Amino acid sequence: MILDIDRLETGYGKLKVLFGVDLKVGKESVGLFGPNGAGKTTLINTIMGMQKPWSGSVKFDGLEIGGKATHLVARSGIALVPQERELFPGMSVADNLELGAAWVPRAAGIAKRQLDMVVELFPILKERLRQYVGTMSGGQQRMVAIGRALMANPLLLILDEPSLGLQPSIVAEVFERLALLKKDVAILVTEQNVRESLKAIDRGYVLENGAVALEDTAAGLAKNPHVVSAYLGI
Amino acid sequence: MATKRRTTILVVLGLAAAILVAIWKPTVLIYGVQQAGLYAAIAIPMGLVLGIVHIVNLAHGEFMMIAAYATYFACRATGMDPLIAVLPAAAVTAAFGWVVYKLTIRRALKAPELNQLILTFGLGIMFSQLVNLFFTSQTRKISLDYVSASVTIGETSFGVWQFVFVAVAAAMAYGLKLFLTRTTLGKAALAVGQNPKGAAIVGIDVDRTYGIVFAIAAALVGGMGALFLTRSAIFPAVGSPFTMKSFSLVAMAGIGNIPGILGSAILLGIAESLLRAFRATRGWADIVFFVLIIAVILGRTLKWRKS
Ligand SMILES: Nc1ncnc2c1ncn2[C@@H]1O[C@H](COP(=O)(O)OP(=O)(O)O)[C@@H](O)[C@H]1O
Ligand SMILES: [Mg+2]
Repeated sequence: MILDIDRLETGYGKLKVLFGVDLKVGKESVGLFGPNGAGKTTLINTIMGMQKPWSGSVKFDGLEIGGKATHLVARSGIALVPQERELFPGMSVADNLELGAAWVPRAAGIAKRQLDMVVELFPILKERLRQYVGTMSGGQQRMVAIGRALMANPLLLILDEPSLGLQPSIVAEVFERLALLKKDVAILVTEQNVRESLKAIDRGYVLENGAVALEDTAAGLAKNPHVVSAYLGI
Repeated sequence: MATKRRTTILVVLGLAAAILVAIWKPTVLIYGVQQAGLYAAIAIPMGLVLGIVHIVNLAHGEFMMIAAYATYFACRATGMDPLIAVLPAAAVTAAFGWVVYKLTIRRALKAPELNQLILTFGLGIMFSQLVNLFFTSQTRKISLDYVSASVTIGETSFGVWQFVFVAVAAAMAYGLKLFLTRTTLGKAALAVGQNPKGAAIVGIDVDRTYGIVFAIAAALVGGMGALFLTRSAIFPAVGSPFTMKSFSLVAMAGIGNIPGILGSAILLGIAESLLRAFRATRGWADIVFFVLIIAVILGRTLKWRKS
């Protein structure tokens, strides 16, 4: 198991947000769905060390990482594409991408290869390597953020709402690219856009009110009456 | 971008002022530029800390003062020239800066800005009062021959030693630019300055980077402390006007704009030197910094209201 989360609880101040979440990611692509405020970002921030667990455990590649500092989690092989992107706006695309690899041992010495892979995935970035990220559109910035995460040659890639604020055509494109990636890297992706993301994942969890309400394969979720009525809007 | 434009404006204004003054009164220009070098070399490290750690270090001048005192006593004890002490002073002040960061600054990083200002202001007062307590308020000076070296061109005669500050300021600005844009650690520092959360996500140790940047700034201003000793007498409060003047320059240049500090320093150095040249205006020389900073802040507030 690459990621193994066991009875995880956490929250903000007195407000409990996660009530004992169990979630596993193997060498596969896993979706994490749920309405706004369900706790998806909180769960991801806890994996990434930006939020301390109250109880339960987060194991990555067999080691406990719950409560570890964010930069150490990143160096151990988890790359995050945050909901708010968190890029370096006053630096070039090239520098942003380079920074994705510079501090991660798994990416040492292979930054060139990773860069080739990223620009092959997002050809538009190749023409814009010198452009300041702050001057790019939201969709292009999202690509830089995904590219930056891939530069780290991660064992696990986490994407928090990668389609947020994107045009539907670009959303479809992003998910096409994600489907290409899943043979090389384990993926955990949160999405409101369940329809598109079901095409890119193997399994999925539905998180509601801070607990896992449902867990199934992509095909199973697509047929599930609750998922259909609540998330596919048919 | 806005900073680029501001830098260009500052540099053009600085050059224009320089040329006008050069034609009319060459020594005013020369002393103005020398003074600008000193101000810029002290302000640049403060700008570095503000740009990356986002802390206004109101103890900045006191770091220089402490380094100058350490250099003074080392030189007195060994007969060494303060110039030789520049690098050791930088190293010792870097270590001191690192400790101050670890013990105090890092605990205030998430605090409201006012608390941070009070913290560094308090540190500055503590440093100068401690020096006062141990070494009294007596002024101390090391006399050096080469400092009074002068050159005569035509009818004008002027001291040349202080051009060393101009060279140091330029080298500092250029060196920092190379560090921040060409090295792995420098790029990480730049990234941390722009987005600490994003930096942690790519594996950068933000706290350590802040500490290193703070130590580098301390090293630079510490080296300046040794150099300062070649030109001036020192006393416990000698650093504090430099804190204020550095802050004026950094505010005028805008956050993270190191070349802009050079431009602002030339503008203010010449303005000061100009006022000093006439008996009637001499008393105003020390105020020109603050008049300009108030003008800049008012100007910016008006622009901000309009938009
Ligand atoms: N920084 C925070 N401080 C306090 N409450 C928060 C914070 N971030 C999120 N929350 C609360 O935690 C809950 C889960 O939020 P979040 O994890 O962002 O959900 P999702 O990503 O599924 O939309 C919400 O009720 C939200 O208001
Ligand atoms: Mg979210």
